[in-house]
Amino acid sequence: MEKILTYIVFTPLLFAFVMGVFRVNIKILRFGAILSSIIVFVLTVTLIAYFDPYQNQIQFERSLPWIASYGIYYHIGVDVLSLVIISMTSLLIPILYIYMWQNSYSGYWYNMMLLQTGVMGAVVSLDLILFYMFWETMLLPVFIMIGRYGHDKNRFNAMKILLMTVFGSMAMLFSILYLGYEYFVVHSYWSFELNNLALLHFDPKTTLWLSAGFMFAFAIKIPLVGFHTWMAPAYSSAPTPALVILSAIMAKLGAYGIWRFGYGLFSETMSYYRPYIIIFAIIGMLYYAIRAMSERDLRRMFAFSSGSHLSVIVLGIIIANIYSWSGSLYFIATHALSSAGIFIMIGLIYRRVGSVDITTLGGIAKVAPKFAFIFAFFALSIVGLPSTGGFVAELLIIIGAFKSNMSLGFVTIFSMITAILYIFYTLQQTIYGPLTPKTQEFGDLTIGEILMLLPLVLLLLVSGIFPSAFIPALEPQLQHMLQIIGGIL
Amino acid sequence: MRSDIYTLLPMATTVIGAFVMLLLSSSKSITLIRYHLITVAILLLSLALSLPLFGSGKSIYPLDNIFHQAFIVDDFSILFDIMFLGGAVLTLLVNTLYLKKRDYYNGEFYALFLFTIFGMMILAHSNDLIVAFIGLEVASLSIYALVGYHKNNPLSSEAMLKYMVLGAFVGSMFLLGSVMIYILVGSTNIADITSFIQNEGESNQLALTVAGTLLLITILFKVGAVPFHTWVLDVYEGSPFPITMFMASVFKISIFAIALRIYVAYFATGVLHGDVILSIVTIVTLIGGSLLAISQTKLKRVLAGSSIVHGGYMLIALSCIGLGSQLAVPAVMFYLLSYFISSVGAFGILSYLSADSKRALRYEDFKGFADKRPYLSAMMAIFMLSLSGFPSTIGFLGKFYIFTVAIESKQFILAALGIAVAFISIYYYFKLIAFMYFYSSPNTKKEKFKLSLSTSLIALMAILAILGGIGTSLIPMIPSADSLLGIASVASSSLGY
Repeated sequence: MEKILTYIVFTPLLFAFVMGVFRVNIKILRFGAILSSIIVFVLTVTLIAYFDPYQNQIQFERSLPWIASYGIYYHIGVDVLSLVIISMTSLLIPILYIYMWQNSYSGYWYNMMLLQTGVMGAVVSLDLILFYMFWETMLLPVFIMIGRYGHDKNRFNAMKILLMTVFGSMAMLFSILYLGYEYFVVHSYWSFELNNLALLHFDPKTTLWLSAGFMFAFAIKIPLVGFHTWMAPAYSSAPTPALVILSAIMAKLGAYGIWRFGYGLFSETMSYYRPYIIIFAIIGMLYYAIRAMSERDLRRMFAFSSGSHLSVIVLGIIIANIYSWSGSLYFIATHALSSAGIFIMIGLIYRRVGSVDITTLGGIAKVAPKFAFIFAFFALSIVGLPSTGGFVAELLIIIGAFKSNMSLGFVTIFSMITAILYIFYTLQQTIYGPLTPKTQEFGDLTIGEILMLLPLVLLLLVSGIFPSAFIPALEPQLQHMLQIIGGIL
Repeated sequence: MRSDIYTLLPMATTVIGAFVMLLLSSSKSITLIRYHLITVAILLLSLALSLPLFGSGKSIYPLDNIFHQAFIVDDFSILFDIMFLGGAVLTLLVNTLYLKKRDYYNGEFYALFLFTIFGMMILAHSNDLIVAFIGLEVASLSIYALVGYHKNNPLSSEAMLKYMVLGAFVGSMFLLGSVMIYILVGSTNIADITSFIQNEGESNQLALTVAGTLLLITILFKVGAVPFHTWVLDVYEGSPFPITMFMASVFKISIFAIALRIYVAYFATGVLHGDVILSIVTIVTLIGGSLLAISQTKLKRVLAGSSIVHGGYMLIALSCIGLGSQLAVPAVMFYLLSYFISSVGAFGILSYLSADSKRALRYEDFKGFADKRPYLSAMMAIFMLSLSGFPSTIGFLGKFYIFTVAIESKQFILAALGIAVAFISIYYYFKLIAFMYFYSSPNTKKEKFKLSLSTSLIALMAILAILGGIGTSLIPMIPSADSLLGIASVASSSLGY
């Protein structure tokens, strides 16, 4: 049982490696990829079944020496934070494989498998060097997928996302090395383990720039406003599967990083950062929403929309009370579902008409009612339509914000209001209105496509209608973490 | 017969082999491939003789009635011998195809090659500045000839002339430094110099620092550190591929062998400000090398520029010796190994590809390479990742050790700059990956992967680059990054460090 996490992380890599060495043809490759993702999915379900949310500790831990002289361990484990992201990843990957079933570029499939390993590995790592390794490695498939299979200046944009993200990671690397060194000074042996490093104490000045290294990396990954220049270009030129992973999973990893490493290592310093990150998050929430209104490219529009919601997630994390935290964690899951859904739908539009510019679209509801219905559903779930999970999550964050500060709460409400503005405008332009030459022949969803999207739709509904099935399971561990960092309530 | 004579056997094999090759080369009936195999056999024999010597933990002065204590056999020098010999074998074997397709290679080439190895072994074993100088010159003179080996290529001749004139000039600095030290100390033996510095170093601080700096200048020139780097790009470009590969990897290792020995014995005591001098050079080297590498279009020149940067990384750790980190010397040695693996691989692929063509390879030539030759391009990508220090490759661990050593020695600026430069290097290494993978090939004809000696060795290097990065104590039977560092620590302990 303790090895289950290792299998979850490395199964896709193993499949990719074996199939890559033998250069299997595309049919076997496809089959193997699906098989690996199903194995991971089944393992994840087992993991969830055996996970005890009321036990306040990291579970399924495994710690093996990797580089003993520097105290680097292969140390992995899950708690509720990582479990949410793991389950979203293992759910989305099979769906994406179905989406890209027709795709005959073998490189595409290999990169997706590597990406899955990278993301899973980063989420379960509890050793900082191990985390850094996965954190960097997961960038590589994205880089190649954007550069190779993307569109619109994709090569330039691939280089941009690579350089910007690596720049952040390098700052983080310096902080990691310094932390390890400080541990060495105190204990006269090296360690890069999260639990060990969390016990270190620094003077305020050192801890400020140390944590800045981490924050910088996470701010670029999320991206917070000001660190976001890679986002819209990369989103608009990424191929759909990479795009889904980027927005649904990888962006969340930045937020996860703040949670796990920001609070895990520098809980005292976070209170210093708190006002600044709140300001960044609020500006980001509003700025991205305004940018989204002014975009005509659907991918760019939902890129900004995704940025806006991630700012809300970060806001929830940084407010740090039990409402906002469970809201943020819930939002990580539901936003992954709805943004995956909407970006897959946009990919389907692109497949049908070869364009995602809203001026060339219109009247889809007339020719493709099923398509229009599900598209509208995903779009509205992004707004936070009641009875979808996003609503519950945003509501919790807003309650948390009110709990912390009245005016903060009022500002946070704007995330829902602004989202309504651009989402309704989009719906009006794309699925209503007159038909355009491009949408005359717009084909409706096939059975296969509906089945592919159905899990996302159902989960969004279930999470919206029965949040009490999930949130109580999230709370005990979050509550415990809050007690450790000495948060409010 | 004295037992310590066995410790001299690897060197003796190499130098006798060199003379044998010289004699054989007068014969017209021996084909190139025979020369090739004989040389490899000599090197392997020498390697087999030196392997059992490692790990004894003793320092032996063989034939001390003749050489006094000018010549030392310890774990440190034996480990370097092993690296030279293994590196030389790999260099030759990887370039088999390249050498076979050129008609100007003959027996003398191999004789010169063996003399180079011999010179480098003297360098690693020297316990005396004059012996070190002899070793340096034996190696350098043979390298000059090898650089200019393609007589009809003007670039090659230019490279040789440039390298030789500058190299000879800078070599005299080493002599000058040795003379100054002799005036002060009355001996050129490294152990004597160390004890002199420890006892009377404070009173002769200025003179000793100047003399040591002169020694350093020669070393820095050979490493290609900025501001002594002007030869690097042209010489690397003009040399035949096997020699470029050899200079970038094996020859550089030998320079660091003597650099480590001199630095530990001379500057590490702390009174001579070696760290200040070296830190300045390191900063300039890291920045200058990056600027050079980033602006090149020919791949050979990119790798040449990047080899300056990699020299800079090693200088970071070198300048940290004596500042409180126990792992500075092993870090340099590990980095040498990691750079060796990745650069032999990268140069090997370039050499393999240019075996048939005369044109210099540029970034553009790799457009669609992943479609044409998927295995080779995957390997090339691994080497680029390793050179850029991307995690999960050996290059990352090399950099990791260097940076931790720098932080441990409180050289925060160097560590931060090193990380910044590693970031810059991402650009020019990933550019190649981008060219290989971002473009689909115009002609979709796939070239079959030919499993030859060269390609299988390159594949071995790629596997090593990955295993060295993630190969852990978790996987039994495979030497992990940990044990490599352990070997390096054993070797460095014989330096008395």
